[in-house]
Amino acid sequence: MKPAVFQYRKAETTREALEALGTNPGAKVLAGGQSLVPLMNFRLSRPDVLVDINGIEELTLVEKLDQTLAIGALVRHSTLSQHPLIEREVPVLAEAARHIGHWAIRNRGTIGGSAVHADPAAELPAALVALRASVVVGAPRGERTMPADEFFLGYYTTALAQDELVMRFEIPLPARRMGFSEVVRRPGDFALVGAYVEDSDAEAAVTWFGLGAMPERQVVEAWPKGQDERQALLERLAREVQSDDEYKYAMAVNVAERAYLAAQKEG
Amino acid sequence: MAAVEDRISIQLQVNGRQHQVEVAPRWTLADVLRHQIGLTGTHIGCEQGVCGACTVLLDGEPVRSCLMFAVQAQGHHVTTVEGVTPETGLSPLQESFRDHHALQCGYCTPGMLLTAQALLDRNPTADEGAVREALTGNLCRCTGYQFIVDAVLAARDQGRDE
Amino acid sequence: MAQAMRPQMMGARVSRVEDPRLLSGQARFLDDIQVPGMLEVAFVRSPHAAARIRGIHTEKAVQYPGVHAVLTHQECSVLLWERDTYKVGQPVLANGEVCYVGQPVVAIVAENRYVAEDAAELVVVEYEPVTPVLDMRESILEQPRRVHPEAENVFFHKKYATPGFDEAFAKAPHHLTASFRTNRQTAVSMEPRGTAAMVDAASGRVTVYASTQSPHRMREDISHLMEIPEHLVRVIVPEVGGGFGMKANCYPEDIVVVAAALKYKKPVKWVSDRMESLETDVHARDDIHDVEVAFDGDGKIIAIRDHLMADGGAYPAYPFSGAVGETSLASRVLTGPYDIPHLATEIHCTYSNKTPLGAYRGVWGPIASFIQEGVVDRVARHLGLDSAEVRRRNMIRPGQFPYRNAAGMVYDEGSYLQSMEEALTLIGYEGFRARQAKLREEGRYLGIGISVFVEPTAMASSEAGSVGYESCTIRIEPSGKVTAALGLGPSGQGHETTMAQIIADQLGVRFEDIVILHGDTDSAPFGGGTGGSRSGPIGGGAALVAGRQMRERLVKYAASLLEAGEEDIELGNGQAWVAGVPDRSIAIRTIAETAYTNVRKIPEGLPIGLELTARYLPKRPVTFSNGTHIAEVEVDIHTGVVEVTRYAVVNDCGTLINPTIVEGQIHGGVAQGIGSAILEALHYDEDGQLVTTSLLDYLLPESTDVPRIDVRHLETPSEGEGGIKGMGEGSLIAAPAAIVNAISDALTPFDGMVDTLPVTPPMVLQMVSGGRTR
Ligand SMILES: Cc1cc2nc3c(=O)[nH]c(=O)nc-3n(C[C@H](O)[C@H](O)[C@H](O)COP(=O)(O)OP(=O)(O)OC[C@H]3O[C@@H](n4cnc5c(N)ncnc54)[C@H](O)[C@@H]3O)c2cc1C
Ligand code: FES
Ligand code: FES
Repeated sequence: MKPAVFQYRKAETTREALEALGTNPGAKVLAGGQSLVPLMNFRLSRPDVLVDINGIEELTLVEKLDQTLAIGALVRHSTLSQHPLIEREVPVLAEAARHIGHWAIRNRGTIGGSAVHADPAAELPAALVALRASVVVGAPRGERTMPADEFFLGYYTTALAQDELVMRFEIPLPARRMGFSEVVRRPGDFALVGAYVEDSDAEAAVTWFGLGAMPERQVVEAWPKGQDERQALLERLAREVQSDDEYKYAMAVNVAERAYLAAQKEG
Repeated sequence: MAAVEDRISIQLQVNGRQHQVEVAPRWTLADVLRHQIGLTGTHIGCEQGVCGACTVLLDGEPVRSCLMFAVQAQGHHVTTVEGVTPETGLSPLQESFRDHHALQCGYCTPGMLLTAQALLDRNPTADEGAVREALTGNLCRCTGYQFIVDAVLAARDQGRDE
Repeated sequence: MAQAMRPQMMGARVSRVEDPRLLSGQARFLDDIQVPGMLEVAFVRSPHAAARIRGIHTEKAVQYPGVHAVLTHQECSVLLWERDTYKVGQPVLANGEVCYVGQPVVAIVAENRYVAEDAAELVVVEYEPVTPVLDMRESILEQPRRVHPEAENVFFHKKYATPGFDEAFAKAPHHLTASFRTNRQTAVSMEPRGTAAMVDAASGRVTVYASTQSPHRMREDISHLMEIPEHLVRVIVPEVGGGFGMKANCYPEDIVVVAAALKYKKPVKWVSDRMESLETDVHARDDIHDVEVAFDGDGKIIAIRDHLMADGGAYPAYPFSGAVGETSLASRVLTGPYDIPHLATEIHCTYSNKTPLGAYRGVWGPIASFIQEGVVDRVARHLGLDSAEVRRRNMIRPGQFPYRNAAGMVYDEGSYLQSMEEALTLIGYEGFRARQAKLREEGRYLGIGISVFVEPTAMASSEAGSVGYESCTIRIEPSGKVTAALGLGPSGQGHETTMAQIIADQLGVRFEDIVILHGDTDSAPFGGGTGGSRSGPIGGGAALVAGRQMRERLVKYAASLLEAGEEDIELGNGQAWVAGVPDRSIAIRTIAETAYTNVRKIPEGLPIGLELTARYLPKRPVTFSNGTHIAEVEVDIHTGVVEVTRYAVVNDCGTLINPTIVEGQIHGGVAQGIGSAILEALHYDEDGQLVTTSLLDYLLPESTDVPRIDVRHLETPSEGEGGIKGMGEGSLIAAPAAIVNAISDALTPFDGMVDTLPVTPPMVLQMVSGGRTR
């Protein structure tokens, strides 16, 4: 289980990274390597050129702007889970990050990598959709910004072109308050199913992960206060998502219910 | 026919010592530590990030050396099990592992030690829950974990007393 | 001073001598072996469950830079098993057909593993897929076809019944039927398999480094299969990172590596990666049991009928088939610790297009316990009786030993009932029911599961070797230090420590002055190796006998040199002295000096030097350890996720050599039992593709999956040397049954009873919803 041959380019700036991507059609970005390198070890991914972005300072920033919290693509899961700004402004993101893999994985894995890898069972892509974040993408042609729900297209598929680089994510502030819950067989595993449930004055919504091919935010008028009624609604919403596994529907209702209860505590 | 790939010369800082090694870009840090630098205490159990046998510290943080290429470790401090072992004898954590029978075949042990050491360095008051949580990323097939957890907790208490 | 009590090392909680090197990263495992010019192997493996090979094209691979050689069946045509035993033997490199995914087809020998894998991708094999045989019940009926045209799918068939079975069964007032299924699992040692071979320039012999449990067995196998005289083969077993039965086989890769080293006169190494390990390490536990049980109104079980089926995979593993091991032995301990007079069994072992079945810790035991304990709980539930009480009513009584069970196995003395009673106290069985009832009202589902087990250990013919004995050579060096060697193949059990403990007591030398050698066929006397829980009772027995014989020699020396009677000599702390006269003493070092250099002073009738080899064959063909595990679980009925919350073990493995090491073995076995019960399964899809090829799919227990385990010891000595019984497997034998019974107990309100291992969350949900609609 050893990777195939590749050339290594270390990029110090986003320009260098974009240049390297632009001139090598077989190039791929190397961020935390926690998804890409296993695939390369299995030889399921075989880039000709690896563009290592780990040295690019500007991608590691977490900044509060006017109406948004900007999180650089290279922010690692372990930073997400304990960064004071994130803890304060978007606590659910910090909580979700704590549920990713194990300590050593979180020390390397990045939010950008998780988004681009787009594992349907991953915590962060769904968080970005649930929080109505935007994805800022750099390209040789210039930057473009798209809403997270347009970024994710399906199983391991995104709207990113081969020569593009995810720069950062922008989460509108004040961030939507929501509850998070997931079912795992062992701590640190990818979730069987997980959910973010929003129950704010503004809106009521649920975003599942591990259920369909990609995270989708489903909005309802309001969550019924009665548990049976609420669960019936959740069941209906879950059934709108295409899943390969009957077991997952039962699970989905359950985690959403738990996320709902957590959201009540969030206040 | 020419060689398959070019080798590049890199500097690695491992356990406080500089090493100049010729590597292919695709060689993982685990392989280079083991086969180029001769530090075979770092073990390989899955090459997929799951088992934790290859755990080393990168600037003091536990990482998987099977999921990093050696070229990426330039400019960082790598610590392996050999680096946490005193010149003579064992470290307090290693002693505690021995006292508590926290190892059987010993294959997972270097990774366990490094994760546990990093935990205690950060959180000298870690309780059993925190210890177990930190070690979820290090699989052991032999011990059932109880004696490992006991060893870490005892090392913690010893550290407190000092 | 010399009179001081001899330190009793046997039974002491001694820290292991193995640990410092393992803790400091200085131990040498197989992949740590590097010699100049060493080449590495990668295999091209079958991507099909079943296919004919129409052509193999290796030209591109041969030309790839860094490649030394490419081997196919033409270059290496060794067959595992001659055709006599099972009519079928696996060619070490596929010959015209492939029969399971992962089967080795071509071997690439290259300058390193990276290059070897590059070249492996360049090999083109033309396959013509055929319908795979994947279902055990169909395979018995030769459907959809024969796996091997020359052999029936059923390669092992056996029937047995106690006299009068049918009548006893029919006359019983109550009957139940159940079908039990265990799904494929495998050992997953953290260190994968591996082999390295090189020709020793000085002697011309081949040296094979092998990550195996049985050095001598491996040497025999290599010698026999490759027709190299034994004395020209040396096997060295380095540090082994776990074996659990899986490393007791000789595998195709072992032979190919040796063949390549001989053919190309280069050191050659192959180390399995994790995908290869999940695909090609022997699998285990692929069994179905169709069970009928007859019992009376008090819950006394009268008769059990069992149709045992096991899917042996594509070929019999070498040198023993796991399917035969699992079924034939399960059929003989199926009544467990219970006095059940009647038994009828029928066994079918079949071929399929899956990985060969071999051994995994406990082999037959976890399956037999799952069934026997599942049967008892079903009887209890059927009659509305407490399951501990039904066990009590059926348990073999202390006065019944030696007890001959319905299959003819003779159990030596054990503490069956006592172990259960103590375990019930340990877990607080009485208080549990109230807690369970209260929490159920809050919607929380707790359950408790009992598993009383018997563990046949030290079988005269264990899976680890055909020999029933073990040997130990002791040499007291001229300095008085001791070197002892055994043919064992430890993989974490701490034999360097336990064997030294035994010998220290016998010789009266300090523990620190003994070094134990193992794993090198040049230094270790012949023996069966480690497996089947035999190293303690048989290996330890050999150490004890050798120690005693050496002690006798030391006593003769001391008596002669101190001019005293032999009966008056005492040994301890590196000294020999006359009892009651501590001044009349002599250092063992001085005796050794005499034995080697001052040879004129050697007492009459004694040989020069202090070296001897003893062999020990236990009188009984098997000794039974026993004990009781009780698990408490909480089942989340909304998600189906099970958490093992509390765990108690009362274990009886006879006289303890080192209680700490025994506890470590128990903890590890329970953890594996948790994996077996709720996490681990190898899945094949409908095309015969193994879909669980990584540790993200094959789930091992993590630190948070295993609760604290409360262990108590009982010691009912065996009749063998030292009173030692084996104990390597018991914890994994007992644990899955305890856990699934606890799950069944938790799901009592839904009528559910677990009949499949492992229990997955969807299964739990199905049991919950199935019960609800009923
Ligand atoms: C044992 C284990 C357990 C795990 N458990 C979980 C879990 O429970 N939940 C979970 O969500 N994840 C889990 N992960 C995955 C982990 O979160 C990864 O870190 C993450 O999926 C990818 O992030 P990365 O930075 O490592 O990306 P990489 O592996 O470096 O890259 C992933 C992909 O994204 C591309 N990419 C990365 N960054 C950019 C960028 N800025 N612009 C453009 N393309 C980019 C790469 O080219 C590649 O295609 C686990 C991983 C392991 C090994
Ligand atoms: S070898 Fe790196 S995590 Fe298993
Ligand atoms: S001690 Fe063997 S894997 Fe942990």
